[in-house]
Amino acid sequence: MLTPKEIISTLQMVREENLDLRTVTVGINLTDCVSDDIETFKRKIYDKITRTAGQLVATCNRIERRYGIEVANKRISVSPIGVVGAPFNAAQMVEIALTLDKAAIELGVDFVGGFSALVEKGMSHGDQALIEAIPQALTESQRVCSSVNVASTRAGLNMDAIKRMGVVIKQAAAMTADDDGLAAAKLVVFANIPQDVPFMAGAYLGIGEADAVVSVGVSGPGVVKAALERAMAEEDNMDLSRAADVIKQTAARLTRAGELVGREVAEILGLPFGIVDLSLAPTPNENDSVGEIFEAIGLPAIGAPGSTAFLAMLNDAVKKGGAFASSHVGGLSGAFIPVCEDLTIARSAAEGTLALEKLEAMTAVCSVGLDMIALPGDTSAEMLSAIIADEMAIGVINKKTTAARLIPAPGKQAGDHVVFGGLLGEGPVMAVNMGSQENRFVRLGGRIPAPIQSLVN
Amino acid sequence: MNKVLISVLGSDQPGIMAKVASIINQHNGNIENLSQTLLDNVFGALLMANLAEDDSSEKLEQSLQDQTRGMNLYIRVHPWQAEPSDWHQNKPETQPYIVTAIGPDRQGLVAEIAGELFKHGVNISNIQAIFKGGKNPMDNLMVFEVDVPRATVMNDLRDALDSMEINFQHRRIFESVSNILN
Repeated sequence: MLTPKEIISTLQMVREENLDLRTVTVGINLTDCVSDDIETFKRKIYDKITRTAGQLVATCNRIERRYGIEVANKRISVSPIGVVGAPFNAAQMVEIALTLDKAAIELGVDFVGGFSALVEKGMSHGDQALIEAIPQALTESQRVCSSVNVASTRAGLNMDAIKRMGVVIKQAAAMTADDDGLAAAKLVVFANIPQDVPFMAGAYLGIGEADAVVSVGVSGPGVVKAALERAMAEEDNMDLSRAADVIKQTAARLTRAGELVGREVAEILGLPFGIVDLSLAPTPNENDSVGEIFEAIGLPAIGAPGSTAFLAMLNDAVKKGGAFASSHVGGLSGAFIPVCEDLTIARSAAEGTLALEKLEAMTAVCSVGLDMIALPGDTSAEMLSAIIADEMAIGVINKKTTAARLIPAPGKQAGDHVVFGGLLGEGPVMAVNMGSQENRFVRLGGRIPAPIQSLVN
Repeated sequence: MNKVLISVLGSDQPGIMAKVASIINQHNGNIENLSQTLLDNVFGALLMANLAEDDSSEKLEQSLQDQTRGMNLYIRVHPWQAEPSDWHQNKPETQPYIVTAIGPDRQGLVAEIAGELFKHGVNISNIQAIFKGGKNPMDNLMVFEVDVPRATVMNDLRDALDSMEINFQHRRIFESVSNILN
């Protein structure tokens, strides 16, 4: 028999606090589609994707009706195209992106990820072609997302790739200048990219994964905020130990709900269940903001001193709760701080409470990185590369995932406003403290060696 | 088989179950299933027992009433040979849901909710009501555990309950979220 407390708290979580099954992502392995003939390859990947995930949207709708929990996004992730499309040139890579886009539109899914390359140590022919194709591919497609892993703790930083990505991001933004550089918002540069992220823009299906697999991304910053606010209001002996407990328990509950729904979708589709990724991923809506959690715990705003300490605690408590609730937690699992996708974070950035440098510090303790950050349009490719290198170094040294999704908004200055729409949101253009636009350090290229794993000081 | 159904109602006090069970035992009856509940301080129990072939529900009822005199109980014993209802004989595939009405009690509330559920072919398996007054939602709610057949159109049922501001949620969500042992 359920107790009234169990009933009420679950109802609150589901109905009032934006418990969000952010995404059900079907990972599809494309290694068996390889061909050196572009038409054959395009046909094979289109057929495999539409065949494997043909029932994804209908199944998610059915599960929504059963549980009354919205599956906000349905997505596809595929094997890295830089690997499976290795024989092709850049123009053909664009065709592949458009084929992925066509499959996504046919299936009615929101995004398809995996237009990706893994180049932390070096670039193959296919990787080079893919990276060259990214600006045009993301401009001409609607639903394709791209990621490039340029660094890892075991390989170090590929500075040649990082140098190249600065240029690619500039081009992508320039080609979508009318939309504030939207193409760059669908491109993430990673260090230590996980193989099983269901969240975009970083989703791809790793080479070590099964032929097809269902993973779910659960969010719910609103649930965590509400739980903290309730505990702060009702409990006399509230301190940070207790706050960490509240976050942990809430994370466990969210994970359980997500896994339940994800497993049912997998069962109906007849595919293995992969992982639950519990990440506090905001949307540009009230009561669905990570920044609001910072205010609930008593910080003046996200970015104020104390923010890094609290974010470390929040991220850790989310991971602990998730890992307890499910044996198969994966992906990024933690807290995201994407500027344009979060109302409160965007506001702090606009008001100047949150600067790029503080954000970078915070990414040392959270689950992703410099995410959805609009920069002045005149930021040079070299400067973008330098910002990326800094962010990657944080991940490499701390043995964690970090990422950079930077949008140099064409024609915009620091303080201007950019709008990307939908989940990508809107926000201020943040200032870069750069001095000179030139950066000889980046120009040197080469590789920054992998860090030593002992002498940990 | 000489099955009987025994209902026992009265003011709660120690010894009701001891007395009733002991009398059934004296009649060589075996209790096969039972359920007991308390509504405020009112005791209610339903027992299913199998009596010896030469015994009867009338004799058992007489003994129970005689031997509990002074305890102020209402005891009835019915012979039970009825076939299971059509619902149980041809039970459709169902999904378990929890229907929750939060807020103060008012006349007609149960009838409205139960009526709407019946209209959509839903069977109620358990109801629990807590009306203690005050503002705390946990002190003012009614919980229906129900089985929803596959044939029920979920969106229609959801819309109907939504318009009455009644919560409707799959039981598995509550269990997975609240119970760490399943």
